[in-house]
Amino acid sequence: MTVPAQRTGEPVAAMALRGLVKRFDTKLAVSGISLEVPAGSFFGLLGPNGAGKTTTLSMAVGLLRPDTGQAVLLGYDVWQSPIEAKSLVGVLPDAMRMFDRLSGPELLAYQGLLRGMPAAVVDQRARDLLDVLELGVGNRTLVVDYSAGMKKKIGLACALLHAPRLLVLDEPFEAVDPVSAALIRGILQRYVAGGGTVVFSSHVLEVVERLCSHVAIMSDGVVRMHGPLDTVRAGRPLQDVFVQVVGGRVATGSELAWL
Amino acid sequence: MAVSVWPFVRLKLRLTANGLRGRPGRVALFVTGAFAATALAILGYAGFALPGLLDAPHAAEILLPFGGALLVLGWLFLPLLFFGVDETLDPARFALLPLSRRSLIAGLGTSALIGLPALATLTATAGTVDTAARLGGPLAALAQAVGVVGGLLLCVLLSRAVTSAFATALRSRRARDLATIMLAVVAASVGPLQLLLLGLLDRANWADIAGIAEVTGWTPLGAPYSMGLDVAAGRGWAVPLKLLIVSAAAGGLLLWWHRTLEQAMTGLSSPGSRRMTARSTSTPVDQLMFRWWPRTRFGALVARETRYWWRENRRRAGMVALLMAGLFLPLTTTFGPGAGVAGPLAFVVGAIAPVALANQFGYDGSAYATNVAIGIPGRLEIHSRAASHALITFPVLVAVATVAGLLAGRPQGIPAQLGTLLAVYGTGLAVLLPISVRGAYALPESTGPFAVSSGGGLAKGLPSVAGMLGGMLGALPVVLAGSLLGPAWTWAGLPIGLGYGVAAYLIGAGLAGDLLDRRMPEVLAAVTPR
Repeated sequence: MTVPAQRTGEPVAAMALRGLVKRFDTKLAVSGISLEVPAGSFFGLLGPNGAGKTTTLSMAVGLLRPDTGQAVLLGYDVWQSPIEAKSLVGVLPDAMRMFDRLSGPELLAYQGLLRGMPAAVVDQRARDLLDVLELGVGNRTLVVDYSAGMKKKIGLACALLHAPRLLVLDEPFEAVDPVSAALIRGILQRYVAGGGTVVFSSHVLEVVERLCSHVAIMSDGVVRMHGPLDTVRAGRPLQDVFVQVVGGRVATGSELAWL
Repeated sequence: MAVSVWPFVRLKLRLTANGLRGRPGRVALFVTGAFAATALAILGYAGFALPGLLDAPHAAEILLPFGGALLVLGWLFLPLLFFGVDETLDPARFALLPLSRRSLIAGLGTSALIGLPALATLTATAGTVDTAARLGGPLAALAQAVGVVGGLLLCVLLSRAVTSAFATALRSRRARDLATIMLAVVAASVGPLQLLLLGLLDRANWADIAGIAEVTGWTPLGAPYSMGLDVAAGRGWAVPLKLLIVSAAAGGLLLWWHRTLEQAMTGLSSPGSRRMTARSTSTPVDQLMFRWWPRTRFGALVARETRYWWRENRRRAGMVALLMAGLFLPLTTTFGPGAGVAGPLAFVVGAIAPVALANQFGYDGSAYATNVAIGIPGRLEIHSRAASHALITFPVLVAVATVAGLLAGRPQGIPAQLGTLLAVYGTGLAVLLPISVRGAYALPESTGPFAVSSGGGLAKGLPSVAGMLGGMLGALPVVLAGSLLGPAWTWAGLPIGLGYGVAAYLIGAGLAGDLLDRRMPEVLAAVTPR
């Protein structure tokens, strides 16, 4: 067992990224990201499409090897002591297929047994999750035939099954209908209230504004701004801060006059 | 008709060129393909021109209708089975443009004519014009030339109409899965059928064949290619009739295409019949696992993997192909040319079996992220996958050994035969498992069952072939021991073969597992489709 680093003194950050760099072929996807996610926070990673959010989160949870830099989850380095780090984290990867030729219950059982949980516990928790998320305990439909919202929900159930201390969710509200979104929001809020930490990426500002205690705004592979939500907003709507930081174009009314 | 066909042709050429730009690998494959097409075209031309050169009208009467019919059938099946459908111009992309159906069909049809297969077909069948000219003079040549052009149109229309119909029929996942299996069965039986056909040909007499050829000449398959011969043989009256047959067939296909095109464009993508499957009352773990299975990580991995061999269509297709090969190969040899090769052919089945694992991570695609995020140790991963593969393959190998032994009339040799098979299977696994980690590549996130990652089939088949050959070479000691030991082999073969196979497997699996431990994220990146 590796002894977790810096257990003494101030509380350990749930996720600490230090100088992460990733280059794909010719494109620098992430160029030197450093970020501290305080334990117990609801952390939103914001950015336009192609900002490097998915790449960053993939490196943070050990799905993608960074060119340089360090990712520390709850005191364990993901690349030095992966087993310890991975056992404390639940992940919902975006655009990653699950083993979708299994049914929902089968997928949860697979996930639980791979995490080394006893079969009885897996059964109990899987039933609870399927029930709460309204996926059906006896539903034998294969996940590949689920709707987009159901896929997100079963993915979330997989991430929650082993009761992790940190949840890393990539675009959890993408393509989810309002009812399911409300349900997911409720579960996540309760999880954070219970002492867990959530890190999620999104470009839906309303959701972020409603949920998050902390945010970071990324564009072009760099963190442009981060901190507690109110500090970042500084009294303005998050939308305005975001567009200003990212450097987008705001319609003035003079263009496309023929429309 | 407001829109001419030229924009379509230009679009197709532009798309083809853009697909090649900046990708040296693709360019190399395209050049290879062009080279192969040219070679085939020249060979075809020579083949079709040969009866004329030899002044053998009887040979021509057989070769031309049969060759032509084979070509048309090839246009029907080959795209579906092997090359995938060239959807450079996907009808669905034109759905939003204000185009009349007529101009769309004209455009798509013309652009389908611009391509290597059509050019190669035209060149090859031009050989029949050569033959007709030598046998019957310019008039026969003219009739044959008309036939060749008609035949090409027929080929293109046939392949377009069928693929368009398929595209609409296969929108639901279930239908697609089913079609993949059917095609796998058909594809796997092509080889054995050939052997069977050769065996039958050996015994047939030529008068019968000439009769069949004449009949073929009156079907749309052979009609276009036998017109010139009719003129040469003084049956000029047949030409208008055959023209009628060809144009009727072409007209029918055109009508069919016309009908299915709209569906292919608008995509009546029904989500498949949402049949409520019977609800299960057992617990989630029991649903995943088999009854007697250990409730452990290894058990879960093997259970998932085994279910995937049946539920994932590409894997299932591979499995079905293996079953067909395993059962057909020994069978056909008894009917085909030269009996007594059943044993060696069964040996080949043992070598083919592990090829299904050559890109095992590619089958998973990005779903493999689940295992990476949990952090499954490499050896556990490899052992579980091999175990599940063996679970399915072992009965096949037993069946093959038994059938081959019985057919060869040596039932006492069955255990030794099985030993050899297991040795080959084990060494094959040993070679292929490290390859599957090192050389994993992404399969396309297939929307259609016949979608192929454009090009690349050749380069990616190489590891499988290497693994197969490696497996056979690695098992040579066992085969040699078999021939050296003589009678003692009958009873020593099974334990020796089994031991050899297991030992080889353990070495290969250990290597692959350690390699995987070091390369897990790299493997995931390699199999994630972009």
